[in-house]
Amino acid sequence: MKNILLVLFFLTTNLLSAQVPAGYKLVKDTIAFKQKMEAQSKLISTLESDFIQEKYLSVMSEKIISKGHFHFKKVNMLRWEYNDPYKYLIAINKNKMFIKDNGKVSKYDINSNKMFKSINEMMINTVQGTLLNSKDYKAKFYENDKFYLLELSPLQKGAKDFLKVIQLYINKTDYAVDKVKMIEPSDDYTSIDFSNRKTNQPIADEKFIIK
Amino acid sequence: MKNLLLSSFIAILFSACHFGHYGSLTKTATASASLKPIFGDNFNSFLFKTNITVYGKDYSGLLVTKQMSPQNYRVIFTTELGMKLFDFEFKDTAFTLHYCVPQFNKPKLLKVIQKDIETILMNDLNKKTFEYFSDSEMLYSIHKTKNGKMDNYYFVEKSSLHLQKIEHAKKRRKKTNFTLSNYQNDFPANILIQHHDIKLKIELNLLKK
Repeated sequence: MKNILLVLFFLTTNLLSAQVPAGYKLVKDTIAFKQKMEAQSKLISTLESDFIQEKYLSVMSEKIISKGHFHFKKVNMLRWEYNDPYKYLIAINKNKMFIKDNGKVSKYDINSNKMFKSINEMMINTVQGTLLNSKDYKAKFYENDKFYLLELSPLQKGAKDFLKVIQLYINKTDYAVDKVKMIEPSDDYTSIDFSNRKTNQPIADEKFIIK
Repeated sequence: MKNLLLSSFIAILFSACHFGHYGSLTKTATASASLKPIFGDNFNSFLFKTNITVYGKDYSGLLVTKQMSPQNYRVIFTTELGMKLFDFEFKDTAFTLHYCVPQFNKPKLLKVIQKDIETILMNDLNKKTFEYFSDSEMLYSIHKTKNGKMDNYYFVEKSSLHLQKIEHAKKRRKKTNFTLSNYQNDFPANILIQHHDIKLKIELNLLKK
């Protein structure tokens, strides 16, 4: 009996430790962390940054790398733009969404399409770091010396089909999202690294209207 | 007289339908320019900025092709934001669907896209028997082969030795046009697949190989 308990003890501790990413430990006071994130997010009125997106596909020998720049302005305005190796632009302006591809602009009503609505919510909440408040995800909180690592697992069936977990790496110095990694059920992933971040610089509303 | 006019009109119409686009081709004993698979035997991956327009809906993204082993290709289509739309594998003549989002998971549409990609991969070329033709201006060496109930015509430009177009035809009527242009280091940087019987267009623009 004692042996069985011992085995069970090791099994469960192994299972628990297997869930914590290497080099990280669980955040003890998640409420304080959430409050801090919320307070930091409230201080931001505009945000812009360069980004490098890497798409990892297990069957391919190299990653697909795309580079771009984004602008964000409260409330609900986002311009997400790829410049290299192709030009592609998504802009969200309240309830409108613009896509510019090959010089052609398409305009959509976000509320008319479930997919656009979830893209909008995910992108806006990711750049703001407020995805943890969404009811559509189950959140786990980890930390090391430099980062908080948030792991968000989708709860809705539709989302679970193409997304296993979203990892947000949040810098401990300024509570900014430094990196986002979206892992698919197959373990292929898309990671986005942000750099040259500027906060609260004036950005004209025209930046979010695409013609 | 009226009847004669009518009958000659019908005759012209009939012969035009019968010979269609391919009536002016002359059969030749051999090919004057050889037909080679555009992806060849190199194990690089190719990345294309891609637009698929199907019945007015536009899907844009990145298409990657990768040769895994001889006659084995993996072809994956993702959105610019990284979301995977489909993942196909072609091995000899077998096809495996590894993944597909609901928007593409329609048997007829999947089959058409699968066949189109198979046509440009040219995986089974060495198993095919060909007839050869020349056009009236002698610009192309034309290779014709059976593809199920259909015919594929491959137009190899004699001056450049580049495959410029593939026409997928049924009873000599064009069903699908594949236009290969803007060759860079013997690889077409632009591939346009235009269907004539359904509203489907696929544009592939090479980003890198």
